[in-house]
Amino acid sequence: MQIVIDGKTCDAKRGEFLLDIAKRNGIDIPTLCHLDALPGEGNCRMCIVEVLERGRSRVVTSCIYPVKRPVEVLTNTPKIIKMRKTLVMLLASRVPENDMIYQLCEQYDVKPPMRFTKDPTEECILCRLCVRACEEIKLNAISTVNRGITKKISTPFDEPSDTCIGCGACAYVCPTNAIKIHDKNGKRYMWNKSFELLKCEKCGEYFTTRENFEYVNKQLECKEPKILCDKCKKTQAQENLRDIFSTYEM
Amino acid sequence: MDDERKVSVKKMSDEKITTDISFTKEILTKYPKEQRYLLAILQDIQRHYKFLPRKSLSMVQEYFDIPLSRLYSMATFYKALSLKPKGEYVIKICDGTACHLRGSNIIIDEIKKLLDIVPGDTTRDGRFSLETVNCLGSCAAAPVVVINDRFFGKVTPSKLKEIIEEYGGNGDE
Repeated sequence: MQIVIDGKTCDAKRGEFLLDIAKRNGIDIPTLCHLDALPGEGNCRMCIVEVLERGRSRVVTSCIYPVKRPVEVLTNTPKIIKMRKTLVMLLASRVPENDMIYQLCEQYDVKPPMRFTKDPTEECILCRLCVRACEEIKLNAISTVNRGITKKISTPFDEPSDTCIGCGACAYVCPTNAIKIHDKNGKRYMWNKSFELLKCEKCGEYFTTRENFEYVNKQLECKEPKILCDKCKKTQAQENLRDIFSTYEM
Repeated sequence: MDDERKVSVKKMSDEKITTDISFTKEILTKYPKEQRYLLAILQDIQRHYKFLPRKSLSMVQEYFDIPLSRLYSMATFYKALSLKPKGEYVIKICDGTACHLRGSNIIIDEIKKLLDIVPGDTTRDGRFSLETVNCLGSCAAAPVVVINDRFFGKVTPSKLKEIIEEYGGNGDE
């Protein structure tokens, strides 16, 4: 099946999401709550596009819109731009001091309205990507709490979670860098909980929490894991490879 | 059994209420282990204890083998569920458009005067809770007050005082 995105003919499989097809063909659609590893959230709506089908136009959320038949897609029509501007304006009202959203404001030439009460400390756009990440790791330490204007992301009872291992996946996936990790004096603080940080055996840098290290190795069924940071692990792998090849050459 | 209960009560001292968790067990046995019954179970627990005790939540969590964060998310999402103990009489004051225009805020102020509670609070003796709701569908009778499913229409401050007195709140609190 073939679909046309912004005039470009693209191959597509039935049921594939529009955003994925566009990405594969080098067509840029802005996203906030989308990660290739955690697809299908569809919360931020930044990736809206227009779908032309049987002479009708429809606005759809491309990250969760499966292609069913050959259609024409437009990603940058005045209508879409206008709607994205509104989205950016509302996001900017929620997180007035956030750098990522500020950049979007600049890009879309949006001025946040003055009529909303704003919280300058708020950085979270409630896209739920962190909750999803925590779910995928099967820890489920955080979730959305409350509803409406009091909705937030937190651990149960705002207390240190029993399941949180301080891996920082939530902070890593956050599109607005709203989740802060404080690493200080060999301790990591996040979600009201403190963790012991581990030093890399080789370079001596703190790189992860003990809980995270143990959890990962348990999942991978690694019996005698070495405490190595990503960099040193890579170097070690390179060295190992070199050893193997050099023995071949001999 | 008694020892078990004492331990549970001790653990729940932070909730300032002695809660018998055996009823939660009873509720759980009534429902199959399917997640679609989750809300119904939480509602039953809420009805019995007037709130969701933490111990009950962890029992539900164990029963369904679901994360506590999911339960907490649910418990905070639904207005019908509460993590703080609710009073014996739940006073709901309509603050929808019609009631708001007809002075529901005066009624809220009056309750504050009479019982010293603001919306979301419970009196210290645990008898009255105050909530605001968005519309009760009886706009013609605005402002509307509901106390434990009993409706009072066209409420005025003096009428409200009578109603509260009828429920045993004499305004001394």
